[in-house]
Amino acid sequence: MSRFVDLTLSTVLLTGLYATMAYGLGLIYGVLRVVNLAHGGVIMTGAYLGWILYVRLGIDPYLTIPIVGAICFGLGVAMYSGLVRWLPRGAAGGPASLLLLFGVWLVLRNVAYGLFTGNDQAILTSYSTRSVAVLGLHVPLTRLVVLGIGLAIAALLHLLLRRTLVGRAIRAVAQNADSCTLVGIDVNRIYMLTFGIGTALSGIAGVLLATVFPFNPNAGAPELLKSFVVVVLGGLGSVWGIALAALVLAAAETYAVLIMPSYLTAAVGFVLLVLVLVLRPGGFFGHRILA
Amino acid sequence: MTPPPLLPRRMAGAFALGCAVLAVLPALDLSPYAHNQLTLSYVMIAGALAWNWMGGFVGQVSFGHAAMFGVGAFVAGRLMLDGLPAPLCWLAGGAVAGLFTLPVHPTLRLRGPYFSIATIGIGEVSRVVFTYWEGFTGGATGLSLPVTAVQKYQLYWWALALAAMVALASIVIRRSSFGLRLLAIKADVDAAADVGISAALYQDVMFALSGAVIGVSGGIFASYFVFIEPGDMFGFDRSIAFVLMAVIGGVGTSLGPALGAVVFVVLRTQLLASYPELHLGLYGVLVIVIILFQPLGITGLLGSLARALARRMQRRIFGRPRRTPPPAPGEA
Repeated sequence: MSRFVDLTLSTVLLTGLYATMAYGLGLIYGVLRVVNLAHGGVIMTGAYLGWILYVRLGIDPYLTIPIVGAICFGLGVAMYSGLVRWLPRGAAGGPASLLLLFGVWLVLRNVAYGLFTGNDQAILTSYSTRSVAVLGLHVPLTRLVVLGIGLAIAALLHLLLRRTLVGRAIRAVAQNADSCTLVGIDVNRIYMLTFGIGTALSGIAGVLLATVFPFNPNAGAPELLKSFVVVVLGGLGSVWGIALAALVLAAAETYAVLIMPSYLTAAVGFVLLVLVLVLRPGGFFGHRILA
Repeated sequence: MTPPPLLPRRMAGAFALGCAVLAVLPALDLSPYAHNQLTLSYVMIAGALAWNWMGGFVGQVSFGHAAMFGVGAFVAGRLMLDGLPAPLCWLAGGAVAGLFTLPVHPTLRLRGPYFSIATIGIGEVSRVVFTYWEGFTGGATGLSLPVTAVQKYQLYWWALALAAMVALASIVIRRSSFGLRLLAIKADVDAAADVGISAALYQDVMFALSGAVIGVSGGIFASYFVFIEPGDMFGFDRSIAFVLMAVIGGVGTSLGPALGAVVFVVLRTQLLASYPELHLGLYGVLVIVIILFQPLGITGLLGSLARALARRMQRRIFGRPRRTPPPAPGEA
């Protein structure tokens, strides 16, 4: 029984991280129809940025989030206006955009190697090992904070997309870019902004990841896969659909230890992806685009 | 009207001549370094061309071909340890690697980014599973294969034969009506379905064929390196290598990836020797530049160079093209 409670708790605590990871990928895919293959690389970059700000400047890792977000926003804007913008759209642009962003990933990986070597790093603060009692259980403090920040980000993103003019423009462009040009929305600018926001979210996810797990320049492939699973599972319907999908993935991964050796949990996300694509190609929670 | 021949006589002749020259090279006092680079290039040429069958001909970019590479290598390795003759082991490895794609693929039949990311999953899952399956792969300690120095030297010709066969197959596929159907699928799945081409079926067939060839090249690669270890053979970097070779050489061209493989092997050796910390990033920059400016890689570059040269020659022989009226006689 206590094991069951433990696993449920781990599930809930993982959800915030997975959801934040998936928003970055999902937003860009939903609006630009481009899968950001550099997503894993940006997460890794965010982790290193948070780490270096903490180690060198002594800023609390959770306070680095706005800084890392801003830097990654700039990175995303640069990636869009320097690279992605010049690709053909539609079917012809598919493999090209994948390969292009894959190139960006390799560059990010190499830069991290060059600057920080291939060693594992982790953000260790004075409170990293502290835990708080929740319902009589010891919960690691960092994990709880990550969950809280994940929820806050989901709420902010929801507000941005639903309540602001920019958010409305983003949703409109996602639905029909040509009509947007007709009513005077600068589609290219919205694409650039969306790519920036998406990349910023990936970077923030990186900081969150770094406060909970160790990382190195090779990190990224499993994160990309997991984010994609969540996006496919949740569809591009809403911010909360993705949060729910993140919960499903976290639950599947956590409870998997009951029936299989722990090293195989890496396969859970992949199996889930296959199942979803076979059963419900549109995602389980609707596939309207962030509407 | 008869269709054009699958392999025009002149092309076949040039191809045979090229292979013959390469086959007698070792007799001409080739340095061990060149011998090594060429052998490795042949193995990688086969792999890159096979990746291109999927990534270039069908347009399905795979980031998980290391799975088939590893399966081929370890099946071949196990059989060699059981004392079977090496070529038989490689073929068996290739067959198993080809079959390995089947249970994965029909359940997916994905397109575009869905396929690509699912292949990352295939790669990661196989790496984990085979690393922990110690009875088969030897786990983290790996396998040492019974290959003598003489056999290793002879791998040059085996690898060359494989590369030649795969190159020939690439040309034939590209020029056949089968290849045209693949091109139709790549251009527009729905339109292809409308004229009766089953994208799913062709995709399965090409994935299996591509996997089988990669498996055979994995087996030869394993024999050449004698020692293999699942973390490396199934690693993400191996999958990446196939993508890079094809992109550098020219995705979708029939023989471009072969050029890419040679460049990749030589560049890799040079970079790992002098700037080990730079080699991935350099490929990344290369990929970005290629996709933005010359999507057909080296092949495209050579093509435009050849065209420019031809224009120049034409100008030399026939004078400037008459866009402006010729100068009046006596003026010059």
